[in-house]
Amino acid sequence: MIVVKIGGRVVKNSLDKIILDILNINDKVILVHGGGDIVTDYTKRLGIEPVFVTSPEGIRSRYTTKEELEVYIMAMSLINKSITSKLCSLGKNAIGITGVDGGLLLAERKKRIVVIDERGKKRIIEGGYTGKVKEVRSEIINHLVKLFDIIVVSPIALDVEERTPLNIDGDQAAFAISKALRANVLILLSDVEGVLVEGKVINRLTPSEAKELSKKIGPGMNRKLLMAAESVENGVNKVIIGSGVKDRPIINALELNGTVIANG
Amino acid sequence: MVNLKCPICGGEITVEDDALPGELVEHECGAQLEVVKQNGKLSLRLAEQIGEDWGE
Repeated sequence: MIVVKIGGRVVKNSLDKIILDILNINDKVILVHGGGDIVTDYTKRLGIEPVFVTSPEGIRSRYTTKEELEVYIMAMSLINKSITSKLCSLGKNAIGITGVDGGLLLAERKKRIVVIDERGKKRIIEGGYTGKVKEVRSEIINHLVKLFDIIVVSPIALDVEERTPLNIDGDQAAFAISKALRANVLILLSDVEGVLVEGKVINRLTPSEAKELSKKIGPGMNRKLLMAAESVENGVNKVIIGSGVKDRPIINALELNGTVIANG
Repeated sequence: MVNLKCPICGGEITVEDDALPGELVEHECGAQLEVVKQNGKLSLRLAEQIGEDWGE
């Protein structure tokens, strides 16, 4: 079983390449998609100004109000059904779900968050409708893969305590699913060719090297590296960070083009 | 500037007049403190440990 995460820019600009490539894969695929830019477009079209916050670590995230959560669910569901309908139309046996369905992804809302405010000060504010995955009910995927070849998953999780869906980070959803399934491979596809250091792609990293490098590189990729290291330490065979905009992006990653994080 | 007391060590700490509730300040004793505003008056309490925000 392989888990593939496609970032928002890949969804927006090269989804057809991903779809065509999946047709050539004989393994079961769990496809987790992002779509932050598309959510932002819809938010603006509906007259809601998106709010972003920056954490003290320098990571910029969407601040999800209740109103924005509704748009988030609508846009993510639209992306999910677009992908699923393309795959089914081409003869693949695919199903599209969110992390809410069957309680696949259980998360906890971040009730308070620390941000760098507009005055540049570190400040605690009320958290929005974003959360952190606490549990993956892997039995749901294990049942579904008996019926379907591809499971398309939107990064929406369920907060049981507050009885609400939550916006969760797509990378985090993919890492959590991979760890729970002890997936053979997790492929993260974005608009970069891998982890870049001084303009060059780093080809291979052990989990400890990935953790070390995460301290020296920019926000976003540092989080991917930390989660990749943790996934390999928890039973995922390898994590590959590669380009989602090249031709044959999944096969290309499976041929180990990009950055591979695996035990030495 | 407003002079306040660190709730952990009792030492003095200076906070800007226009500090907002939730603002984090660090005292020289190492405590991370959160600005609280009650009835227009500023005070400090020990800040809870909060991780970063995670969303798509």
